[in-house]
Amino acid sequence: MAIAYRTHMSIIGDILSTARDEVPDESGASVTYLIRKANVSYARLSKILETLVSQGLLEQTSSDRACKYRISNRGREFLQAYRGFREFADSFGLRI
Amino acid sequence: MEFILESALNLLGFVVGLVLGIFAYIGFKNTGSPTLFRLNISFFSISIGFGVVGFGFLIESLVLGYVKLDTWIQTLGLGIQTIGYFFIAFSHGIKSFFPKSRYFKSIAIPLFIIPGNSIEHIIRSISFILLVYGTIETIMSYMENRKRSAIFVAAGLGLLALGEFLGWYSIVFPKSVLYFISVSTKIVGLGALFVPISQVPLRGGVKFGNSV
Repeated sequence: MAIAYRTHMSIIGDILSTARDEVPDESGASVTYLIRKANVSYARLSKILETLVSQGLLEQTSSDRACKYRISNRGREFLQAYRGFREFADSFGLRI
Repeated sequence: MEFILESALNLLGFVVGLVLGIFAYIGFKNTGSPTLFRLNISFFSISIGFGVVGFGFLIESLVLGYVKLDTWIQTLGLGIQTIGYFFIAFSHGIKSFFPKSRYFKSIAIPLFIIPGNSIEHIIRSISFILLVYGTIETIMSYMENRKRSAIFVAAGLGLLALGEFLGWYSIVFPKSVLYFISVSTKIVGLGALFVPISQVPLRGGVKFGNSV
């Protein structure tokens, strides 16, 4: 079976979904956790996280050992809108 | 009276295309997705194409008082719509516009050559081919993901293709009812493309300024 190609937008969707639905504790998800769950490389994830934090979609929280990330309200709204537009594009047989 | 009916149908197509275009534009602004950008161009082109024909006929018949309407308006409108159909097909990734196989060339090329003497014929042929391509690709995607809304999109694109075919045929029988059936079929087709939008659970006021 062929592996489906993920677009940049779908990777962002996966990261936000992970940060919303699968965080191990209240303080948020660590970079290692996000790498494993969203299945992206460290280099790529770092750039995306920087963008998402600067856009206010993720909140960066510092713990004793490392930075953790939590989805913001704006991020939740974005994720909902993204899923709506993804459904729309899916209907055309397209990927956003 | 005929002019008004033709204009009304085309203006309905203009509104439907515009709403679809605005929805795709909102999606593009929020996500920065190139796919939604192409759909945005596509629906705006289709809308403008219908608008050119609708408003053109209205202005010529009501304002300028022409008895016989200029065919170039129809040709221009159809040409703009074809750009929209191209972007829908292009979003599916057309590998090569003209088939390489000699056998396929023998089937496809006459579609461009037979009409020959009229730009409108050629434009309608191109639109038809692009829409059939889009329909087939959407059906293929339905076979993969079994999303019900994809059936409506495939039906919509298929009806747009049928509308173009009937419009092409109406040139052979210019005084028949075929033209009205053609425009009506295209509008029903555009309406079917609305179904995916109705299923999107969007709340108002979602704006993110810059795309991600």
